[in-house]
Amino acid sequence: MIGWLRSWEGGLLVVFLATLALNVSFAPEFLTVQNQINLFQLSVEKIIVALVMTLIIINAEIDLSVASVMGLAAVVFAYLLNQGWGGGSAALACLLVGLVAGLFNAVLVAKVGIPSLVVTLAMMIGYRGFSRVIVQDTSLGNFPDWVTDLGQKGLIGPLPLSLVLFFVLLVALGVLLHRTGFGRQVVVIGTNADVARFSGVDVGRVKATLFVMSALISAVAGVLYAARLGSVRGDSALGFELDIITMVLLGGVSIFGGKGSMVGVFLAILIILNLRNGMALMNITGHVQTGVIGSLLILSVLLPNLVGDLRTRRARA
Amino acid sequence: MMKMKGLALAAGLMAGLMGTTALAEAVTAAPGQEVNAVLLPKFLGILPFDQANRGAQEAAAELGSTGKLEFIGPTPENSAAGQIEMLTTATTQKQHVVMLSNNAGDQIAATAEAAQAAGTKVVTWDSPIPNGAGESFFVAQVDFGSIGTVMADMAYDLAGGAGEFAVLSASPDAANQNAWIEAMKGALAGEKYKDLKLVDVVYGNDQSEESYNRALGLVDKYPDLKVIMAPTTVGIVAAAKAMQDEGLCEKVKVSGLGLPAEMVSYSLNGCAPQFALWSFVDLGYLTYHASYALVTGAIKGEVGEEFTAGRMGSFKIEEDPGRPGAKRVLMGPFTIYTKDNVEAAAN
Repeated sequence: MIGWLRSWEGGLLVVFLATLALNVSFAPEFLTVQNQINLFQLSVEKIIVALVMTLIIINAEIDLSVASVMGLAAVVFAYLLNQGWGGGSAALACLLVGLVAGLFNAVLVAKVGIPSLVVTLAMMIGYRGFSRVIVQDTSLGNFPDWVTDLGQKGLIGPLPLSLVLFFVLLVALGVLLHRTGFGRQVVVIGTNADVARFSGVDVGRVKATLFVMSALISAVAGVLYAARLGSVRGDSALGFELDIITMVLLGGVSIFGGKGSMVGVFLAILIILNLRNGMALMNITGHVQTGVIGSLLILSVLLPNLVGDLRTRRARA
Repeated sequence: MMKMKGLALAAGLMAGLMGTTALAEAVTAAPGQEVNAVLLPKFLGILPFDQANRGAQEAAAELGSTGKLEFIGPTPENSAAGQIEMLTTATTQKQHVVMLSNNAGDQIAATAEAAQAAGTKVVTWDSPIPNGAGESFFVAQVDFGSIGTVMADMAYDLAGGAGEFAVLSASPDAANQNAWIEAMKGALAGEKYKDLKLVDVVYGNDQSEESYNRALGLVDKYPDLKVIMAPTTVGIVAAAKAMQDEGLCEKVKVSGLGLPAEMVSYSLNGCAPQFALWSFVDLGYLTYHASYALVTGAIKGEVGEEFTAGRMGSFKIEEDPGRPGAKRVLMGPFTIYTKDNVEAAAN
């Protein structure tokens, strides 16, 4: 098992280095500091949420409502700013929105016992509906300068707040998953929830914690998204959940739970962002970019199965 | 000595005079300079943007730019985020100018300002940045106010002067669409249109299937609907097809902004007896000329400056009446198509 994980991440590392080499040789602007920052910042909200999605999927659950929570938080943030609220209190209110959304998911999944796929699918539609009701068919902007500055400009040197937050969360959630009792419980439940329950793990509490964490982090990401773009619409962050889940699965996290690592997901994030950036710098259009990343995901689903097949055949022969 | 001084003075005066007259006259940018440009449409894959690209390429060839002209764009479903990403990338690439048909509303303003600060000019065409921030100037296809009147008149004609009509627009954040709909609402306040009632504005996001369904939805919701006004080339075709498929063309007429090549059959069979448009080839051509003049320093992008744009003659930068503080170059005019002239234009 560990050998397999190692080889998956090894494979990702090779793909990442290959992408890097391609980018360096074909896009002269690739290595500039500003481009490296842009590369992360253009998708920073997605990759922040991908970190917590990693824990959810390893736990053998799924949270489809993340992008709608992001959108709702972004819209509420913009709405409150336009009502004359201060940036700090508006952001706090958005965290509250995230907390409530997370508790809702948590109760329905962990206490009532409805599958997370169903619960979060419903919430994905529901929260999106709220956003659309709040802003109708227009956009909300006119944020105070310090809000957009925080969203767009460097906080520590050239690193903007969102990127600093991403790296802090990467380390924190990596440690939580791989170095703490809670992390071990997440994995054990993901491998086999019944076994975990019999060995005394409070399955409901772990799952509930994860869903609250997921919605809270999504709400933060939504506020960052609003601050970066300087205006929001009812369809802000629409469809992001699929990109986020794509990153996590490419990172080698098993959709059936129990398997996966933060390093793998980080490598997958690097691959996708670098591929997109490199293709953009080489003036490759959106349709082709989507196609290339789609093919990569298909390969990442097919390869393990093909390799597995080969191994069983060899073992039989 | 005195004579010499006098002569020099006269020469100086002359030069000064010529300088001032030159400002008032149209400048022509010297051909053969290096201008690296990106033509960034709302998204790829629809005819008008391909036509605009044809016009821009024609202008680039004519001016003999030694730089490159790239035509890149996002996918329709990723339009706003994709445009922001592509404008950021173009800035990184140190492109001289990005010619943008904005589909991201004010969301792109910060990125456009960053581009300008880094030395990449942003010239908008077709659809401007609503608040004007980060934009050098906007090349407007037609006067946005006059589009409102034309749409109101077409609705008036097709509805027979009275009745209900609805608008099928593109995306809720397309600045051009919103400006035209607002202008139309303004026109509708006139006495002539008092029996004409705008009942709804819906959005098909410039996707054929979505627009088709929105058009059918309108007919279901408003049984007395007489006209669907679609100021988008995707929406108008989808709406006309929907009415034709459902056999509703006698009852509900479709109008708006459409490409003759795509509308010819609907125009002839009476589903869309009247619609309007301008030339997207010319729009791309003029946009490139304006951008080239801006990048090469022939113009600075200030109000009152005039420049020549090849076969189209000379144009002037002016205040944009629809967007306080923003500047525009007005192309115009546009053509109303009916069964009498649509076939000729379609070929």
